[in-house]
Amino acid sequence: MKELRELEKSVERAVAFLKSQPEIKSAQVFASANNRLWTRLNYTSHIPCNGVEEVKSTVDYGIGIQIVLDGPDGSRIGFGSEERDLSLEGVKLALEKAKQGAIVDPEFRSLPQATGEKRSLFDYHDPMVMGITDEGLVGGGWKILDGALWSFLGSEKLRNMAPGGALHDLGLIVGGDLSILQERMAISSYDMPAVQSDESAAILAHVTSMVEKGDAKGSGYSVHLKLSDLDDAAGSEAAGNAINSLGGIRVPSGDYPVILGPQPIGELLSHLVIPSCTTGSFYSRQSCFLGKLGSQVASDGLTIVDKGNAPGLIGSKGITCEGLATGETTLIKEGVLSGLLSDWYEYQRILHDPNAKEKLGVNPGDVQQALVPRNGFRFARGGGRNFGTQPHAAATNVVFESASSTAFEALLKQIKRGILVGRLWYTYPIHGLRAGDFTSTLTADSYFIEDGEIKAPVKVNTLRINDNIANILMGIRGMTGEARPTILWAGDQIVYAPLGLMVDKVHFEAIAEFMDAAY
Amino acid sequence: MAKKANKVNIALIDKVKDELSNLISGTKDKLKDCCYIDLRLGVGEGQRAMAQDGMRKFSLRDYRFSYGLRVIAGRDITAAGYFGQTLGSADADNLAGVIEGGLRQAYERAIANSRMKSERKNRWEILGQSLRSTELAPMEICQHTVPGVYRINPVDVSLEEVSKLTQEVSKAVASYDPRVKVNQIMVETSLIRELVVSSEGASLDRTYALTQGLCVVVAIGNSGAQQTHYDVIGHQRGWEILIDGIDEELIKSKPLMHFALDLAADNVSLSETRPCPSSDKEVAVVTDPHYNTLLVHEIIGHPTELDRALKLETAYAGRSWFLRSLKETMLGKQVASPLVSAYSDPLLPGYGHYEYDDEGTPAKRVTHIDKGVFRGFMNSRQTAATLGVSPNGHFKAIDASLVPLIRMSTTVFGQGKHDPQKMIKEVDHGYYLVGHRIPSISESRENFRITARKVFEIKNGQLGEMFRDGGIMANTKDYLMSIDAVGNDLRIYPVFNCGKGQPMQAKKLGNGGPTLRGYARLVGGTK
Repeated sequence: MKELRELEKSVERAVAFLKSQPEIKSAQVFASANNRLWTRLNYTSHIPCNGVEEVKSTVDYGIGIQIVLDGPDGSRIGFGSEERDLSLEGVKLALEKAKQGAIVDPEFRSLPQATGEKRSLFDYHDPMVMGITDEGLVGGGWKILDGALWSFLGSEKLRNMAPGGALHDLGLIVGGDLSILQERMAISSYDMPAVQSDESAAILAHVTSMVEKGDAKGSGYSVHLKLSDLDDAAGSEAAGNAINSLGGIRVPSGDYPVILGPQPIGELLSHLVIPSCTTGSFYSRQSCFLGKLGSQVASDGLTIVDKGNAPGLIGSKGITCEGLATGETTLIKEGVLSGLLSDWYEYQRILHDPNAKEKLGVNPGDVQQALVPRNGFRFARGGGRNFGTQPHAAATNVVFESASSTAFEALLKQIKRGILVGRLWYTYPIHGLRAGDFTSTLTADSYFIEDGEIKAPVKVNTLRINDNIANILMGIRGMTGEARPTILWAGDQIVYAPLGLMVDKVHFEAIAEFMDAAY
Repeated sequence: MAKKANKVNIALIDKVKDELSNLISGTKDKLKDCCYIDLRLGVGEGQRAMAQDGMRKFSLRDYRFSYGLRVIAGRDITAAGYFGQTLGSADADNLAGVIEGGLRQAYERAIANSRMKSERKNRWEILGQSLRSTELAPMEICQHTVPGVYRINPVDVSLEEVSKLTQEVSKAVASYDPRVKVNQIMVETSLIRELVVSSEGASLDRTYALTQGLCVVVAIGNSGAQQTHYDVIGHQRGWEILIDGIDEELIKSKPLMHFALDLAADNVSLSETRPCPSSDKEVAVVTDPHYNTLLVHEIIGHPTELDRALKLETAYAGRSWFLRSLKETMLGKQVASPLVSAYSDPLLPGYGHYEYDDEGTPAKRVTHIDKGVFRGFMNSRQTAATLGVSPNGHFKAIDASLVPLIRMSTTVFGQGKHDPQKMIKEVDHGYYLVGHRIPSISESRENFRITARKVFEIKNGQLGEMFRDGGIMANTKDYLMSIDAVGNDLRIYPVFNCGKGQPMQAKKLGNGGPTLRGYARLVGGTK
């Protein structure tokens, strides 16, 4: 992997070269190197398998250039990049592409400029994660499988289900992956000439386990900043949750009070709330919160903050991919929509949009602090800060902060007849983001609640939610203080979600009855 | 504009093909306990542009260049190791040297994986028994070069022309009606060449053109109802499809300008309609070929991918209700009305077309449902070996640096005999769903809810009121069994963003079907 110093030198050299080109009015240069490493897991006790199915990686490095050129019809802006060449030759190739593609965009104001906010996070990654070997990568995957398999082998419940000790006939499944992200970037520009750089690394494990004969499924997750912390917990958690889900029951259609667990909270935030909290979604009139900046959009118990610079959180970065300081953006404060995630372009665009007041609900000049561009990232290719991508607004660590919290058991006690939703599947804004309607199915880790107690697991894939995100947000009645990080398939942000968030009413439909007699 | 010579262009493969074939076979022979190696190399030249509300936003002419390796090795028990890398101009003169580095890494991963698998096979007691050597089902080893099909080479079109068309279409949509508030037009056209070579002697060299126009339109009606819809025109053809449209037997599309204006017209009309009602019970629903494109994708295509069925996607894209275990499957069982057939055919035209997959397996048509009876899965060599069947060529990646997955080629409902107009006329009361919108499917694909662009009420065989924000929800088998008419109007449409894999691979593929009539619950919005 390219060293940080090489990236820094490259952007410094590139900016010096660009400044020698008289037609270039302004430019920003971004160089990065990313390694994405995975062990993909697939253990099946009843079907021949490999255990660790894939040990793989994709690696890249290169340089990307945004330029502003003079033109007869106004400034022209262009972007070009070159892969695996940080030399001046690579810079020239990227520049040629940027010049060739340059266009006049009447909404373009400037390349990113200092916002006055200062960087606060430095040297926050574990060098050991950057140096993981292939042996360590493969071993990490097998270690997670060990956690799951020893949980299965040690389960009395499973032994009782398997006559003659034939545990393998139960259809035990462990799937998921261990992902390691290694990212380095450097940036410089005419407006911010001091070379800035950043280095980050993270370990994420995401495991699903099943006892298929019992239609029981469980999930396990773990995130680590230090290689020494990598353990088998995600595997053992997933297998344990699958075993706990044995004996699932069907629940009839209807409206129920619910407690949402961390994964469903992450799922709803990632597919509905966070995409609606960007300046771009307001500009294009697609946010489900259109016209509501400064208005109540959720129960007053809800406060959500994007924390891009928090030490010890997985999604933190020192600077954005636009060279600006990361920081905290309060998205919802005590139920009031309070801030939006921005990159520089969208920030400038909404500030100068003649329809901005109608779109935001307030005059943008009055709420400039709510729109500060702290979230312009170039996430792409399944992780990493990609030199070939232009910045876009992306969340980092989305954290729940509430003035009051309730113990999980106390939340349970408030429910006479309801559902603990532990994992949602395929959640989509079914009529577009603006409408807020969504649908989703319960696929694991869910339980029926009766008289304030967990009564029985809900059988997997037998309930569908049809509801609207506004009903969920306004219906929040309490949450735990304790939270955990959640990882979503193909998601860039980490949601630090409460262990339980209570909503007073959600609509469920009983589904897939034919499966009870399918086999 | 004349094409400027670039070090990375599709002709590069001519220069390196033999050298890389020799490298792969030679390396396999040199490496201890190595059973198999394959290499995929991809080179693309293309351009893309985007315009929003009549303003140019982006344009770029660039190349893509990458490779991916799979090595299967091991002593007691074999395992796979992979390596993928994106490449640049600087690598063009030393490609073999770069790939040698990747080979070492993939091999080391395979050997470490094999050793650890062997340890677990013993350590995990009875649960270690299912750990097996990584095996690939035998297949016909082919060497073939397949040329691209296009009238206007994407590489010969100037970037200015691409950008100009994008802007003109966006301008026209913006000025179509004041209720159109936002539009975004994205165009791409490229020429791609992919090489697959293996230590077994396979050598498949395929070139194809790929051209696409994507339109997103946001309209707000006088009552404030907002509608956002998108649609795509795309084919493995040249620039001509965006200018002239497509007029083939199974694929038809207007030129991009008219296509986008039609979408704008639909959006404006929809923004003045009422929300779709919901029904408590199943109602007669007639669904058009565009709607059935997404329906067949979700309820037939995905659950007939054998990697899902064999549980490899349990944590991600999900399993399949067509297979519970190797002994418990729906093979040979009635899963749909006898009127229903469905199949995947890589030899059909469109986004899903290819002659060989990314393992070099000759592509074959796979019948999934024949007269309502479930018949089979799309597979790869490894999953075919597990099930004990022949490979049928459905192992594909969106980029050579990524590991292939089992993907749909062109998956469709088969043609029926009914006149689509009569299918509507025969309905006393029901709904006609036109155009697909957004899907949500349960994990093993046993239940679905899919929204339509437009929903019309059918009263006494006539189309009545049009509604927005509606769709149908059903249990997959119940719906498939309820189908009582299948139209004679099979069409194929492009699907440009099918997500699967870790990391996520958003693939272009083909889907389609004729008009269908069945029974399902109508589901509208909450507002």
